[in-house]
Amino acid sequence: MLPASLDEAVAALAAMPTAVPVAGGTDLMAAVNSGLLRPAGLVGLGRISEIRGWQYADGHALLGAGLTHARMGRPDFAALIPALAAAARAAGPPQIRNAGTLGGNIASAAPTGDALPVLAALEASVVLTGPNGSREVPVSHLLTGMDPLRPGELLAFVRAPLLHAPQVFLKATARTGPGRAMASVALVLDPARRGVRCAVGAVAPMPLRPLEAEQWVASLIDWDGARTLDPRVCTAFGDYVAMACIPDPVGDPADPAGQDAGALPPAVAHLRRTVAALARRALGRALS
Amino acid sequence: MSAVRGTSVGGDGTAGSDAATAIPTVVVPPAAVESQHGLGASLLPADAAAKTQGVFPYAADLWAEGLLWAAVLRSPHPHARIVSIDTTHAAEMPGVRAVITHTDVPGDAMHGRRVADRPVFAHDVVRHHGEPIAAVAADHPDTARLAAAAIIVEYEVLEPVTDPEKAFEAPPLHPDGNLIRHIPLRFGDPSAAGEVVVEGVYRVGRQDPAPIGAEAGLAVPRPDGGVELYVASTDPHADRDMAAACFGLETDRVKVVVTGVPGAMADREDPGFQLPLGLLALKTGHPVKLVATREESFLGHAHRHPALLRYRHHADAEGRLVKVEAQLLLDAGAYADASSDALAAAVAFAAGPYVVPHVFVEGWAVRTNNPPSGHVRGEGAMQVCAAYEGQMDKLAAKLGLDPAELRMRNVMATGDLLPTGQTVTCPAPVAELLGAVRDAELPPLPSAEDEAEWLLPGGPEGAGEPGAVRRGVGYALGMVHMLGAEGHDEVSTATVRVQGGTATVICSAVETGQGFATLARQIVQEVLGVEEVAVLPADTDQPPAGPSARGRHTWVSGGAVERAAKMVRTQLLQPLAAKFGMSVELLTIADGKITSYDGVLSTTVAETLQGKELWATAQCRPHPTEKLDETGQGDAFVGLAFAAIRAVVDVDIELGTVRVVDMAVAQDVGRVLNPRQVAARIEAGVTQGVGMALMEDLRTGRGAVKRPSLTGYALPTALDAPPVRIVKLVEERDVVAPFGAKAVSAVPVVVSPAAVAAAVRAATGRPVGRLPIRPQTAVARQG
Repeated sequence: MLPASLDEAVAALAAMPTAVPVAGGTDLMAAVNSGLLRPAGLVGLGRISEIRGWQYADGHALLGAGLTHARMGRPDFAALIPALAAAARAAGPPQIRNAGTLGGNIASAAPTGDALPVLAALEASVVLTGPNGSREVPVSHLLTGMDPLRPGELLAFVRAPLLHAPQVFLKATARTGPGRAMASVALVLDPARRGVRCAVGAVAPMPLRPLEAEQWVASLIDWDGARTLDPRVCTAFGDYVAMACIPDPVGDPADPAGQDAGALPPAVAHLRRTVAALARRALGRALS
Repeated sequence: MSAVRGTSVGGDGTAGSDAATAIPTVVVPPAAVESQHGLGASLLPADAAAKTQGVFPYAADLWAEGLLWAAVLRSPHPHARIVSIDTTHAAEMPGVRAVITHTDVPGDAMHGRRVADRPVFAHDVVRHHGEPIAAVAADHPDTARLAAAAIIVEYEVLEPVTDPEKAFEAPPLHPDGNLIRHIPLRFGDPSAAGEVVVEGVYRVGRQDPAPIGAEAGLAVPRPDGGVELYVASTDPHADRDMAAACFGLETDRVKVVVTGVPGAMADREDPGFQLPLGLLALKTGHPVKLVATREESFLGHAHRHPALLRYRHHADAEGRLVKVEAQLLLDAGAYADASSDALAAAVAFAAGPYVVPHVFVEGWAVRTNNPPSGHVRGEGAMQVCAAYEGQMDKLAAKLGLDPAELRMRNVMATGDLLPTGQTVTCPAPVAELLGAVRDAELPPLPSAEDEAEWLLPGGPEGAGEPGAVRRGVGYALGMVHMLGAEGHDEVSTATVRVQGGTATVICSAVETGQGFATLARQIVQEVLGVEEVAVLPADTDQPPAGPSARGRHTWVSGGAVERAAKMVRTQLLQPLAAKFGMSVELLTIADGKITSYDGVLSTTVAETLQGKELWATAQCRPHPTEKLDETGQGDAFVGLAFAAIRAVVDVDIELGTVRVVDMAVAQDVGRVLNPRQVAARIEAGVTQGVGMALMEDLRTGRGAVKRPSLTGYALPTALDAPPVRIVKLVEERDVVAPFGAKAVSAVPVVVSPAAVAAAVRAATGRPVGRLPIRPQTAVARQG
């Protein structure tokens, strides 16, 4: 089915509840082709023009779920939400970016989804449209499963704040060419609320927010002045974020072997160093 | 290069070598070549346009009227006992035409490259993840897959043996035992010792050949009870013999037709689906086709041997090597395949292209429940190169010497002995190669102005920061043997036919993309002066030419084509020569014209032929080799090729990301027969080597392959593939090789991982003992 509007798509899903909505299909069709998924039907979202662009609404941007990574990577979009544009540009080879969509990135909710830490840092929310009308859910609630997608609902829009301040998305990959994130960090400044918001992707099933580190570093920034920080503060912030996201293993006091559990396995220790370096670099770039 | 063309015409097989002294060793950039055909020209492959336009037919494009689709059921467990196989449910599914298991194999139940130790279908025990258990033919590929999934196999899961070191003690995984081969090499005096000793442990991961096209094939039953297999085989005759034995048919009832080969860095085909295809075609009486999924491809075909290498190098105070001791352990996976050959190469080249008076190596290839290992370009030689070059860096650091200088003090030359006791009789210009890469200009460091343009490790949208990037320069030398070793009969046969103005080459050497078909055209152009040359596709109705591996076809099949072409030439010129009372050698053919040395006689080839057809068939068989004896001694190799590579890398020492900035290659090629092709082969080899060095490793967990996909298994992309600069091609002709040419594809694969590792070592100051290099080892020392 190829509905031309959101209403038609919702109706199509209601008529065939076992059908699976598909946008770019970069994850879904790979699963279908490898036999992992045999959907009874597909509802193609590619012809719904209302979700392929964006509009403005009271200091927010209402982003269509059908925005492709390629579209988000362009300079006009980058002027609006720079971190999301950077994540979209890093999201894969051009073939994937041309097809893969923002909504698909949220719906497949892969830990390595590049848009996810950015949306978490922006504290964006998603507009879900179903047979009983629309409702708005914070992205983090959706991703953590606190408020999941209900049957018959479609992910229609993403509401993201326009912050008019520097934003950074950094991603560490194992190769120079496009690759999945080993770890990623999104960091946005919110001068109006005098806040720094940071989210770490790919190290856990959903993006992690180091709230204490955010508050600590936000309290050090002179928001009305030059907004610069001592490099040592950036380094400390990086370590703070990394420790929060990858804590030391808690040794079981009853287990004598647990006493020396303080040493992380080398790969995890490296991941923590990577997160620390990314967070430090992200903060440094946001403030430079 | 036109002078070269003239001199090699009309001589015997070694005429090319006489001209060697007159030809300066120069790199011929493709653009500078004037000649459009013949040897030394950058002739384009005849199928180049079709391949780039996407109309070249590969095995997956085959079609036959009324064909059925096959699917293979593969084991999900790396080690299990099969309690029962129930195919009734699958066989009853609508659309299913046949379901076969081990009970449906009419001929030999076991097959294998060197030792028949691998069952066509597992029956009592499965020994690796993905081992074939049953196969289905159905009228639709989905039906076939569903039916294969509906086969009920009851397994009793067994503990897999995944650590090759534990294979010695483990209960036998196979009736043949867990030790596939042990070579103890003893060369020199075991009590010798040097003033400086360095030790190291090196690990090499499991590289997958990852051909661009996954395995595919079509089997067509013949009215005489035989079967034709249309597959992208790289060794059609060996595959035919194996198939015929398993089908219980005479070899003349099985024909293997080679289709377009979509990439072959290894034994291209996986018998795990070739044999079921043929069996299903025979059973159903219908053509049967199978196109493997990428996942099946990763599970089915052979990988590079993972290796654990322990080394101790002794040197004197000046850095001259005294003794090398090594223990080499190759993980063969469940079946022997080419492990014995890989081990021989690893043991023989364990010390590298260096003069070492005392060498003691223990080499083992053992059976495990890990994915199967087999022939992959540079097998054995690549793994040890990473280790001995790591040792050379360690030794240089300990002695406070420049790594290039230390290597220069130890390089091998013609006349030196290999640790196997074999004298290096071919050209071994190792010092010249090393000097060329050492003296090559270094790529510039980014300056302040173009810093924004600088491609940092991690890519254009990555997290790289110039302040954390360190540049490292590393050297590696390496060697590889050409042709099969240890007494394999490396014969090839070719036929050349001339009719009208065109010549045809009939040879079952498979064009895998390595360029043999182009080379065959060039050889015939050179000898017969006929511009239009066609190379017919290969099948097993022609005499065997052997596998497309180890640079064989440039040598043996190229040699056979040259001999056949010369025989045709003699047939063509003999009547003319007799008529004019001069010897054949005084006549030359060029551009379709025959002229005598004095220019008196001039006629065309077409006129001389007078509508006749001339045929000649010839063989080329290099000098015999011998098996390594119980102390690892013997003249096991026909020829050797060498290369030196200097790698320049940028490392983000906080994130551990690495980008290869530049690879400078100097290679011993004997003679450049097609400059464009040589450059392409070197670039391809270096890229494969960079993949091995930085990212390619097929991960397993308790013997099962994790993420067998091109997302899970990272390959170098265009951004990862470094600029490859060929700084020198040393053209010192190998007198025993046809045209004096050496194989070029394998050496860069062998040497480049070691060069990248050396450069990362230089950038980070940390030992790099594992390939691929993991990010956590490419960071600056902590603390």
